[in-house]
Amino acid sequence: MPSILSRDTIRQVLQKAVSTGADFAEVYAEHTKSNSMVMIDGKIDSITDNFLSGVGVRVCKGLKSAYASTSDTTLSGLLSCAENAAQAIANGSADRQINLVERIFGDVHPIKIVPGTVANSVKADIIRTAYAAAREYHENISQVQATLLDVDHNILIANSEGLFTEDRQIRTRLMVNAVASKNGENQSGVQSPGRRMGLEMFDTIDPATVGKEAARQAVTMLSAGYCPAGKMMVAIENGFGGVIFHEACGHSLEATSVAKGRSQFAGKLGTQIANPKVSAVDDGTIPGAWGSINIDDEGHPSQRNLLIENGILKSYLIDRLNGKRMGMASTGSARRQNYTYEPTSRMTNTFILNGPDKNEDIIRSMDYGLYCRQMGGGSVNPVTGRFNFAVTEGYLVRNGQICEPVRGASLIGTGSEILMNIDMVGQNLATGQGMCGSVSGSIPTDVGQPLIRVSSITVGGR
Amino acid sequence: MNYASFKEAVAAAAAEHGISDYELYYMEDQSVSISAFKTEIENFSSSVSGGVCFRCIADGKMGYAATELLDEEQAREIVIRAVENARTIENTDPVFLHNAGDSYREASSYEAPLPTAEQMIPFVLDCQRKAQDADSRVSEGTQSQFFAGRTVVRLSNSNGLDLQNVTGFQCGLVEAVLEENGEKYSGYDYRVGDLAQISRKELVAGAVKRAAGTIGAETISTDRYTVVFDPEVMADLLAIFCPVFSADNVQKGLSLLKGKEGEVIAAPGVTLVDDPLYPGCTVQTSFDAEGVAAYTKNVIENGVLNTLLYNLKTAAKEGKKSTGNAYKGSYASNVSIAPYSFYLKPGELSREEVLSKVGKGVYITEINGGHAGANAVTGDFSLQSAGFLIEDGKLGKPVKNFTVADNFFSLLKKIRWIGKDLSFGIPSGFTVFGAPTVAVEDLSVAGK
Repeated sequence: MPSILSRDTIRQVLQKAVSTGADFAEVYAEHTKSNSMVMIDGKIDSITDNFLSGVGVRVCKGLKSAYASTSDTTLSGLLSCAENAAQAIANGSADRQINLVERIFGDVHPIKIVPGTVANSVKADIIRTAYAAAREYHENISQVQATLLDVDHNILIANSEGLFTEDRQIRTRLMVNAVASKNGENQSGVQSPGRRMGLEMFDTIDPATVGKEAARQAVTMLSAGYCPAGKMMVAIENGFGGVIFHEACGHSLEATSVAKGRSQFAGKLGTQIANPKVSAVDDGTIPGAWGSINIDDEGHPSQRNLLIENGILKSYLIDRLNGKRMGMASTGSARRQNYTYEPTSRMTNTFILNGPDKNEDIIRSMDYGLYCRQMGGGSVNPVTGRFNFAVTEGYLVRNGQICEPVRGASLIGTGSEILMNIDMVGQNLATGQGMCGSVSGSIPTDVGQPLIRVSSITVGGR
Repeated sequence: MNYASFKEAVAAAAAEHGISDYELYYMEDQSVSISAFKTEIENFSSSVSGGVCFRCIADGKMGYAATELLDEEQAREIVIRAVENARTIENTDPVFLHNAGDSYREASSYEAPLPTAEQMIPFVLDCQRKAQDADSRVSEGTQSQFFAGRTVVRLSNSNGLDLQNVTGFQCGLVEAVLEENGEKYSGYDYRVGDLAQISRKELVAGAVKRAAGTIGAETISTDRYTVVFDPEVMADLLAIFCPVFSADNVQKGLSLLKGKEGEVIAAPGVTLVDDPLYPGCTVQTSFDAEGVAAYTKNVIENGVLNTLLYNLKTAAKEGKKSTGNAYKGSYASNVSIAPYSFYLKPGELSREEVLSKVGKGVYITEINGGHAGANAVTGDFSLQSAGFLIEDGKLGKPVKNFTVADNFFSLLKKIRWIGKDLSFGIPSGFTVFGAPTVAVEDLSVAGK
């Protein structure tokens, strides 16, 4: 692949960006092909097919930053974009020579089948397999929507310190939403595995299993009563269950919040913020994982960051600019949805590590409570730490046994309180895939954990 | 190349591939924003982006392809991709490109230029100062922002349709963070309107009051309550559940309103209006994403579901006319369905009168997690909330860390009192949701 823009063009843009006296300038150029194909009612119903192309120029002076972006990638369009940013940051004059030296970071994500080079019919067959498995699962399945998404994201990052580097990030995701209906009521089940892979993702993930699992969940919930409301003990299953850590803790560890004292965990490094059974990492280096990146969106290599060790806060997630405010180095955590967003610190693959408890002991230990087998998404206010997330498949637990399914539950709490309440941690660590939305847009992230027990949390039901 | 030359190149490529029925949809977005932290400007950003979507009919089916890169190669590429995509589609419902000749109402075009950094700087710095002065507990996490956007849409097709619309809005937003006894409390407020006309004093006071109001909040007892929704929260609920009114979702079994047109679905006082030309709204449009004339309609009228929202394809499927609600979330999207200014018609009561009628209950000023704790397919919701108790017909103690849960369709029927204080949220595309204060009986609240 040729570079998105030449080194010489970028050098001119960077020189323009620092021309008013900025102490740092960065160019982020992007070419992204994205495709989504949707099947509904057994027929391919729609295809979205887009080519995103643009450039973002960031300049910093002290702790201030200015950002300008454009889809006009002609030299004059780029220079005027750089000029906008330069004018907004400072009004001096500077003549700095910038020498860009290309750097190639390793790629730990080999791609066997690049989705954009495969005929539509190949993708349609994958979708059809998932669709059919869901549809045929049960007579109460009234509708199935199956979607295959693929993204080919090419980025180029260069800065006034001489960095010039590129990366290509290919991702694939299958999403199945099954609806079960009976007596004028609908219930839905969703499965959406994704990987930092091409279509070879389906060598290890069977689309039929994905479809069946979504349908099983919808049918199970159709016969479920409403979840009782109030404070109770809960056990949260592995995989997407890790959304509890993502919301209750992860967002509050992002420098985006911490640097400005807008986090409940600001100033808490080295102190105990979670139960001693809890250790957690953010690791963007896992080959093939949905949230992985070779380099972050400032051109810093991704790394494994130990966030919490035996309950003690060890590290935040830090980008360059907020790192400056905090007097700390980048942790390779700068991310953005696309060129229209300025990067900031975000999560990659974030999960609680396996703990000391046997999974069967966790369920057996509960006299009464809720077992959450599948979770939906959630959200948090990092300032107060108040978070929420949805339970899409829950069961009541009585006398150490998983009993009848319940629907409509959500879990709410305050991060600092809930982290201390995670009092049993099991051993079946697995991850689940999500899109995480925050100030720098929507980005792919993995959440994960083994089965955990929370001694007390508010369950919203009715 | 510019858009005019790109259009010509696409027309030539279409002709070369024997494509005679096609449309080009161009969208250009410009935006600026500025934010202040402590007493300084922290960040300025500006963005200009434009993209084109080509869609065409091939083998009786519609295919789409879009690009932001306007060059010769992409002009050929999008035609080839759209044709391949059309041939992959298996849905055989008839598809349409609209003809010219509708009579369009006049939308007030948004002429205000985007504010410059110099104009926005005093606004946010003054908000920061005012926040510091407003309350001694205001702490350094407090942030003020101003942002503005402007969107140009051009739609032209091979039937001779050629339309253009300009929309935009400006918004000031303050998030106040207060600190008391080591605990942090946050509250935000915003005002949509022109920079010069927004009262900074009211905006700051609103944010500080909201944050301060949450101090000392306790958890509420788990029970069933009459719940009063603040206008902003009621508008959020409408936004979450508006997909249920889409004919596309109904036809696909993804909304429970199937077969409900003409039936009572809400309490008698409920009228839900969709207005593309709501007076004073800065995201008005006279045409939808297929070029069909947009018009005002009551979706629910006095509790009866009057009509769903249709585009050309879903209307044809039922032998009806489009309601002019074809929608594209971005230039690259397939045509779907969405409302415009979509609001619950206000009643006669002031907020105080609504509270006094309720007597005892919960007033909700904040809901969170709408993308997860609510499901438009089932209608169920269970949402993290905060607000105040209502005691003796007046606001009482602040409450937090509870959820409110029910089903949207049953909520519509349990609406008891509607205030007169209609207010609108922040627009997204041509859509903006609005509601007054609304009291709903018998909702489930989970706290302690």
